[in-house]
Amino acid sequence: MSTAAATDLRALPEAELIRREREIASRHLDKFPYLAVFWAFANFATWLALWPLVFTGTLPLWAAFPIATLNIMLSYLPSHEAQHDIIAKPGTKLRWLNELIGHMSTTPLVLPYRVARLTHMEHHKHANHPELDPDYSSTATGPWDSIWGTIKNNQPRSAGGFNAYGKTLERIGRPDVILDGVLYQLAFYGILFALAWSGYAIEAALLWWLPRHIATIYIRFYLSWAPHHPGQETGRYRDTRSFRSIFGNIGSMGMQYHVIHHLHPRIPLYRTPRAYWEMRDILEARGCDVGGLK
Amino acid sequence: MLTTIKTIFYFGPLLFGLGFIAPLAAQILERLEAPLPFGLTPLIAGLILGAAWGTYAQVKGRWA
Repeated sequence: MSTAAATDLRALPEAELIRREREIASRHLDKFPYLAVFWAFANFATWLALWPLVFTGTLPLWAAFPIATLNIMLSYLPSHEAQHDIIAKPGTKLRWLNELIGHMSTTPLVLPYRVARLTHMEHHKHANHPELDPDYSSTATGPWDSIWGTIKNNQPRSAGGFNAYGKTLERIGRPDVILDGVLYQLAFYGILFALAWSGYAIEAALLWWLPRHIATIYIRFYLSWAPHHPGQETGRYRDTRSFRSIFGNIGSMGMQYHVIHHLHPRIPLYRTPRAYWEMRDILEARGCDVGGLK
Repeated sequence: MLTTIKTIFYFGPLLFGLGFIAPLAAQILERLEAPLPFGLTPLIAGLILGAAWGTYAQVKGRWA
Protein backbone atom coordinates (compact mmCIF):
# COMPACT_ATOMS: atom_id res chain seq x y z
CA MET A 1 0.00 0.00 0.00
CA SER A 2 1.09 3.59 -0.47
CA THR A 3 0.73 6.91 1.27
CA ALA A 4 -2.51 7.30 -0.69
CA ALA A 5 -3.73 4.22 1.16
CA ALA A 6 -2.94 5.96 4.42
CA THR A 7 -5.02 8.91 3.26
CA ASP A 8 -7.94 6.57 2.60
CA LEU A 9 -7.49 4.96 5.99
CA ARG A 10 -7.78 8.34 7.69
CA ALA A 11 -11.42 8.41 6.67
CA LEU A 12 -12.10 5.35 8.84
CA PRO A 13 -13.28 5.68 12.44
CA GLU A 14 -10.49 5.45 15.02
CA ALA A 15 -12.02 2.28 16.48
CA GLU A 16 -11.68 0.56 13.10
CA LEU A 17 -8.03 1.62 12.78
CA ILE A 18 -7.35 0.28 16.26
CA ARG A 19 -9.09 -2.98 15.39
CA ARG A 20 -7.03 -3.43 12.22
CA GLU A 21 -3.81 -2.52 14.01
CA ARG A 22 -4.49 -5.02 16.79
CA GLU A 23 -5.43 -7.70 14.29
CA ILE A 24 -2.06 -7.32 12.54
CA ALA A 25 -0.20 -7.21 15.87
CA SER A 26 -1.92 -10.40 17.03
CA ARG A 27 -0.42 -12.28 14.06
CA HIS A 28 3.08 -11.54 15.38
CA LEU A 29 2.56 -12.08 19.10
CA ASP A 30 3.41 -15.24 21.05
CA LYS A 31 6.10 -16.38 18.62
CA PHE A 32 9.02 -18.04 20.37
CA PRO A 33 12.17 -16.00 19.59
CA TYR A 34 14.58 -18.84 18.75
CA LEU A 35 17.06 -16.37 17.30
CA ALA A 36 17.19 -14.28 20.48
CA VAL A 37 17.73 -17.39 22.62
CA PHE A 38 20.55 -18.68 20.39
CA TRP A 39 21.98 -15.14 20.17
CA ALA A 40 22.01 -14.77 23.97
CA PHE A 41 23.94 -17.98 24.64
CA ALA A 42 26.27 -17.81 21.62
CA ASN A 43 27.14 -14.19 22.27
CA PHE A 44 27.82 -14.62 25.98
CA ALA A 45 29.80 -17.84 25.45
CA THR A 46 31.92 -16.20 22.76
CA TRP A 47 32.75 -13.25 25.01
CA LEU A 48 33.65 -15.58 27.91
CA ALA A 49 35.79 -17.76 25.62
CA LEU A 50 37.87 -14.77 24.56
CA TRP A 51 39.46 -14.56 28.02
CA PRO A 52 41.15 -18.01 28.11
CA LEU A 53 41.89 -17.79 24.39
CA VAL A 54 43.78 -14.53 24.89
CA PHE A 55 45.40 -15.50 28.19
CA THR A 56 46.76 -18.74 26.71
CA GLY A 57 48.03 -16.96 23.60
CA THR A 58 45.66 -18.91 21.32
CA LEU A 59 44.03 -15.72 20.03
CA PRO A 60 45.93 -12.44 19.66
CA LEU A 61 44.53 -9.52 21.60
CA TRP A 62 44.22 -7.36 18.47
CA ALA A 63 41.80 -9.94 17.04
CA ALA A 64 39.91 -10.44 20.30
CA PHE A 65 39.26 -6.72 20.83
CA PRO A 66 36.81 -6.22 17.92
CA ILE A 67 35.09 -9.51 18.75
CA ALA A 68 34.64 -8.44 22.38
CA THR A 69 33.32 -5.07 21.23
CA LEU A 70 30.79 -6.76 18.94
CA ASN A 71 29.80 -9.16 21.75
CA ILE A 72 29.05 -6.35 24.17
CA MET A 73 27.24 -4.33 21.49
CA LEU A 74 25.02 -7.39 20.95
CA SER A 75 24.55 -8.12 24.63
CA TYR A 76 21.56 -5.89 25.30
CA LEU A 77 18.83 -7.09 22.94
CA PRO A 78 18.32 -10.67 24.19
CA SER A 79 17.82 -9.20 27.67
CA HIS A 80 15.42 -6.69 26.13
CA GLU A 81 13.29 -9.58 24.81
CA ALA A 82 13.31 -11.04 28.33
CA GLN A 83 12.39 -7.69 29.90
CA HIS A 84 9.16 -7.82 27.86
CA ASP A 85 8.49 -11.49 28.74
CA ILE A 86 8.77 -12.37 25.04
CA ILE A 87 10.78 -15.55 25.66
CA ALA A 88 8.32 -16.81 28.29
CA LYS A 89 5.55 -15.15 30.27
CA PRO A 90 5.38 -15.36 34.09
CA GLY A 91 4.04 -18.69 35.25
CA THR A 92 4.92 -20.61 32.08
CA LYS A 93 7.23 -23.62 31.77
CA LEU A 94 10.11 -21.73 30.16
CA ARG A 95 9.98 -18.75 32.50
CA TRP A 96 13.36 -19.77 33.94
CA LEU A 97 14.87 -19.36 30.46
CA ASN A 98 13.41 -15.88 30.11
CA GLU A 99 14.93 -14.84 33.43
CA LEU A 100 18.26 -16.58 32.78
CA ILE A 101 18.69 -14.77 29.48
CA GLY A 102 17.62 -11.50 31.07
CA HIS A 103 20.27 -11.77 33.76
CA MET A 104 23.02 -13.34 31.68
CA SER A 105 23.08 -11.35 28.48
CA THR A 106 23.67 -7.87 29.92
CA THR A 107 26.41 -9.03 32.29
CA PRO A 108 29.23 -7.85 29.96
CA LEU A 109 27.46 -4.50 29.78
CA VAL A 110 27.47 -4.33 33.62
CA LEU A 111 23.73 -3.63 33.56
CA PRO A 112 21.70 -5.64 36.08
CA TYR A 113 18.54 -7.23 34.69
CA ARG A 114 16.20 -5.85 37.34
CA VAL A 115 17.56 -2.32 36.85
CA ALA A 116 17.25 -2.67 33.07
CA ARG A 117 13.70 -4.04 33.22
CA LEU A 118 12.24 -1.57 35.71
CA THR A 119 13.82 1.49 34.07
CA HIS A 120 12.89 0.24 30.60
CA MET A 121 9.24 -0.08 31.59
CA GLU A 122 9.39 3.53 32.76
CA HIS A 123 10.91 4.48 29.40
CA HIS A 124 7.91 2.88 27.68
CA LYS A 125 5.43 4.66 29.95
CA HIS A 126 7.06 8.08 29.65
CA ALA A 127 9.14 8.08 26.44
CA ASN A 128 10.53 11.58 25.70
CA HIS A 129 9.29 13.05 28.98
CA PRO A 130 12.15 15.23 30.28
CA GLU A 131 11.59 14.29 33.94
CA LEU A 132 10.13 10.78 33.81
CA ASP A 133 11.86 9.04 30.90
CA PRO A 134 15.07 7.48 32.31
CA ASP A 135 16.58 7.55 28.81
CA TYR A 136 15.75 11.18 28.12
CA SER A 137 19.44 12.12 28.42
CA SER A 138 19.95 10.33 25.06
CA THR A 139 18.17 13.13 23.19
CA ALA A 140 20.55 15.03 20.94
CA THR A 141 20.51 17.40 17.99
CA GLY A 142 22.15 14.91 15.61
CA PRO A 143 24.30 11.75 15.31
CA TRP A 144 27.57 13.30 16.50
CA ASP A 145 25.82 15.10 19.33
CA SER A 146 24.36 11.74 20.38
CA ILE A 147 27.81 10.13 20.50
CA TRP A 148 29.28 13.09 22.37
CA GLY A 149 26.28 13.09 24.71
CA THR A 150 26.84 9.44 25.66
CA ILE A 151 30.52 10.15 26.37
CA LYS A 152 29.48 13.07 28.59
CA ASN A 153 26.83 10.93 30.31
CA ASN A 154 29.53 8.38 31.19
CA GLN A 155 31.53 10.93 33.18
CA PRO A 156 31.70 10.46 36.97
CA ARG A 157 29.34 13.25 38.00
CA SER A 158 26.94 13.06 35.07
CA ALA A 159 23.25 12.89 35.88
CA GLY A 160 22.41 11.16 32.58
CA GLY A 161 22.96 7.76 31.00
CA PHE A 162 23.01 4.81 33.37
CA ASN A 163 23.53 7.33 36.21
CA ALA A 164 19.91 8.48 35.73
CA TYR A 165 18.53 5.03 36.52
CA GLY A 166 19.02 5.37 40.30
CA LYS A 167 16.76 8.42 40.37
CA THR A 168 14.07 6.52 38.43
CA LEU A 169 14.25 3.52 40.78
CA GLU A 170 13.78 5.83 43.77
CA ARG A 171 10.84 7.58 42.10
CA ILE A 172 9.00 4.33 41.42
CA GLY A 173 9.57 3.09 44.95
CA ARG A 174 12.22 0.44 44.15
CA PRO A 175 15.40 1.85 45.75
CA ASP A 176 16.23 -1.73 46.79
CA VAL A 177 17.13 -2.52 43.17
CA ILE A 178 19.88 0.12 43.27
CA LEU A 179 21.81 -2.49 45.29
CA ASP A 180 21.99 -4.65 42.14
CA GLY A 181 23.72 -1.80 40.36
CA VAL A 182 26.09 -1.24 43.28
CA LEU A 183 27.07 -4.93 43.37
CA TYR A 184 27.58 -5.08 39.60
CA GLN A 185 29.78 -1.98 39.71
CA LEU A 186 31.83 -3.29 42.64
CA ALA A 187 32.31 -6.64 40.89
CA PHE A 188 33.19 -5.01 37.56
CA TYR A 189 35.79 -2.64 38.97
CA GLY A 190 37.04 -5.28 41.41
CA ILE A 191 37.72 -7.66 38.50
CA LEU A 192 39.30 -4.91 36.39
CA PHE A 193 41.60 -3.84 39.23
CA ALA A 194 42.56 -7.43 40.09
CA LEU A 195 43.37 -8.23 36.46
CA ALA A 196 45.29 -4.98 36.04
CA TRP A 197 47.47 -5.51 39.10
CA SER A 198 48.06 -9.16 38.09
CA GLY A 199 49.70 -8.01 34.86
CA TYR A 200 46.65 -8.19 32.58
CA ALA A 201 45.64 -4.51 32.42
CA ILE A 202 45.84 -4.27 28.61
CA GLU A 203 43.80 -7.46 28.24
CA ALA A 204 41.17 -6.17 30.70
CA ALA A 205 41.04 -2.84 28.89
CA LEU A 206 40.60 -4.37 25.44
CA LEU A 207 38.30 -7.27 26.35
CA TRP A 208 35.94 -5.44 28.67
CA TRP A 209 36.56 -1.80 29.64
CA LEU A 210 36.92 -0.18 26.21
CA PRO A 211 34.46 -2.52 24.40
CA ARG A 212 31.86 -1.66 27.04
CA HIS A 213 32.33 2.07 26.42
CA ILE A 214 32.08 1.62 22.64
CA ALA A 215 29.04 -0.64 23.04
CA THR A 216 27.32 1.87 25.31
CA ILE A 217 27.74 4.57 22.66
CA TYR A 218 26.38 2.24 19.96
CA ILE A 219 23.44 1.01 22.05
CA ARG A 220 22.49 4.52 23.14
CA PHE A 221 22.72 5.68 19.55
CA TYR A 222 20.50 3.02 17.99
CA LEU A 223 18.20 2.05 20.84
CA SER A 224 17.66 5.42 22.48
CA TRP A 225 18.56 8.30 20.22
CA ALA A 226 17.74 7.31 16.63
CA PRO A 227 14.22 5.87 17.12
CA HIS A 228 13.09 8.69 19.41
CA HIS A 229 14.73 11.62 17.65
CA PRO A 230 13.96 14.54 17.93
CA GLY A 231 12.53 13.46 21.28
CA GLN A 232 10.13 16.36 21.61
CA GLU A 233 6.77 14.60 21.51
CA THR A 234 5.12 12.23 23.94
CA GLY A 235 2.28 9.77 23.46
CA ARG A 236 2.47 6.23 22.05
CA TYR A 237 1.93 7.24 18.45
CA ARG A 238 4.32 10.20 18.47
CA ASP A 239 7.22 9.33 20.78
CA THR A 240 8.91 6.88 18.39
CA ARG A 241 9.60 6.92 14.66
CA SER A 242 10.77 4.64 11.91
CA PHE A 243 14.05 5.57 10.23
CA ARG A 244 16.52 4.24 7.68
CA SER A 245 20.01 3.47 8.93
CA ILE A 246 23.06 3.58 6.66
CA PHE A 247 24.04 0.27 8.30
CA GLY A 248 20.72 -1.35 7.44
CA ASN A 249 18.36 -3.13 9.79
CA ILE A 250 20.93 -5.62 11.07
CA GLY A 251 23.58 -2.92 11.57
CA SER A 252 21.10 -0.89 13.57
CA MET A 253 20.00 -3.95 15.58
CA GLY A 254 16.49 -3.93 14.15
CA MET A 255 15.78 -0.47 15.47
CA GLN A 256 14.53 0.94 12.16
CA TYR A 257 11.15 -0.54 13.13
CA HIS A 258 11.23 0.51 16.79
CA VAL A 259 7.86 2.25 16.45
CA ILE A 260 6.30 -1.24 16.31
CA HIS A 261 8.06 -2.17 19.54
CA HIS A 262 6.70 0.86 21.39
CA LEU A 263 3.17 0.22 20.22
CA HIS A 264 3.25 -3.56 20.68
CA PRO A 265 6.18 -4.35 23.00
CA ARG A 266 5.55 -8.11 23.09
CA ILE A 267 6.16 -8.60 19.37
CA PRO A 268 9.58 -10.30 19.11
CA LEU A 269 12.35 -8.24 17.53
CA TYR A 270 12.64 -10.53 14.49
CA ARG A 271 8.94 -10.03 13.67
CA THR A 272 8.96 -6.19 13.85
CA PRO A 273 9.94 -5.62 10.18
CA ARG A 274 7.04 -7.76 8.90
CA ALA A 275 4.62 -6.21 11.37
CA TYR A 276 5.79 -2.75 10.31
CA TRP A 277 5.20 -3.25 6.60
CA GLU A 278 1.78 -4.78 7.26
CA MET A 279 0.84 -1.96 9.64
CA ARG A 280 2.65 0.98 8.09
CA ASP A 281 -0.30 2.76 6.46
CA ILE A 282 -2.42 2.37 9.57
CA LEU A 283 0.40 3.87 11.61
CA GLU A 284 0.66 6.77 9.19
CA ALA A 285 -3.09 7.29 9.37
CA ARG A 286 -2.87 7.33 13.15
CA GLY A 287 -0.23 10.07 13.06
CA CYS A 288 3.02 8.13 13.53
CA ASP A 289 6.23 9.46 12.01
CA VAL A 290 6.88 6.70 9.47
CA GLY A 291 8.40 8.94 6.83
CA GLY A 292 11.81 7.37 7.33
CA LEU A 293 10.74 4.00 5.93
CA LYS A 294 8.35 4.19 2.99
CA MET B 1 28.59 -0.88 55.44
CA LEU B 2 26.52 1.71 53.56
CA THR B 3 28.98 4.45 54.54
CA THR B 4 31.89 2.34 53.26
CA ILE B 5 30.16 1.74 49.91
CA LYS B 6 29.25 5.42 49.57
CA THR B 7 32.86 6.38 50.33
CA ILE B 8 34.17 3.92 47.72
CA PHE B 9 31.83 5.35 45.08
CA TYR B 10 32.62 8.94 46.11
CA PHE B 11 36.32 8.33 45.52
CA GLY B 12 35.58 6.28 42.37
CA PRO B 13 37.62 8.38 39.92
CA LEU B 14 40.68 8.44 42.17
CA LEU B 15 40.40 4.70 42.82
CA PHE B 16 40.04 4.05 39.09
CA GLY B 17 43.15 6.15 38.45
CA LEU B 18 45.21 4.15 40.93
CA GLY B 19 43.51 0.78 40.50
CA PHE B 20 43.32 0.61 36.71
CA ILE B 21 44.93 3.51 34.85
CA ALA B 22 48.20 3.18 36.80
CA PRO B 23 48.88 -0.50 35.99
CA LEU B 24 47.46 -0.06 32.48
CA ALA B 25 49.83 2.83 31.77
CA ALA B 26 52.74 0.91 33.32
CA GLN B 27 52.10 -2.15 31.14
CA ILE B 28 51.72 -0.03 27.99
CA LEU B 29 55.01 1.76 28.75
CA GLU B 30 56.69 -1.60 29.35
CA ARG B 31 55.49 -3.02 26.03
CA LEU B 32 56.54 0.10 24.16
CA GLU B 33 59.90 0.08 25.93
CA ALA B 34 59.46 3.84 26.09
CA PRO B 35 62.41 5.79 27.53
CA LEU B 36 61.30 7.47 30.79
CA PRO B 37 62.74 10.66 32.35
CA PHE B 38 64.47 10.84 35.76
CA GLY B 39 65.07 7.10 35.77
CA LEU B 40 61.40 6.38 36.45
CA THR B 41 60.26 2.79 36.24
CA PRO B 42 57.11 2.10 34.18
CA LEU B 43 55.20 1.35 37.40
CA ILE B 44 56.14 4.64 39.07
CA ALA B 45 55.33 6.54 35.88
CA GLY B 46 51.98 4.72 35.70
CA LEU B 47 51.21 5.54 39.33
CA ILE B 48 52.03 9.23 38.77
CA LEU B 49 49.79 9.34 35.69
CA GLY B 50 46.99 7.37 37.35
CA ALA B 51 47.08 9.46 40.52
CA ALA B 52 47.21 12.75 38.60
CA TRP B 53 44.44 11.84 36.15
CA GLY B 54 42.31 10.28 38.87
CA THR B 55 42.69 13.37 41.04
CA TYR B 56 41.73 15.60 38.11
CA ALA B 57 38.58 13.52 37.47
CA GLN B 58 37.83 13.43 41.20
CA VAL B 59 37.92 17.23 41.43
CA LYS B 60 36.37 18.09 38.06
CA GLY B 61 33.81 15.26 37.84
CA ARG B 62 34.95 14.39 34.31
CA TRP B 63 37.96 12.71 32.73
CA ALA B 64 38.89 15.45 30.24
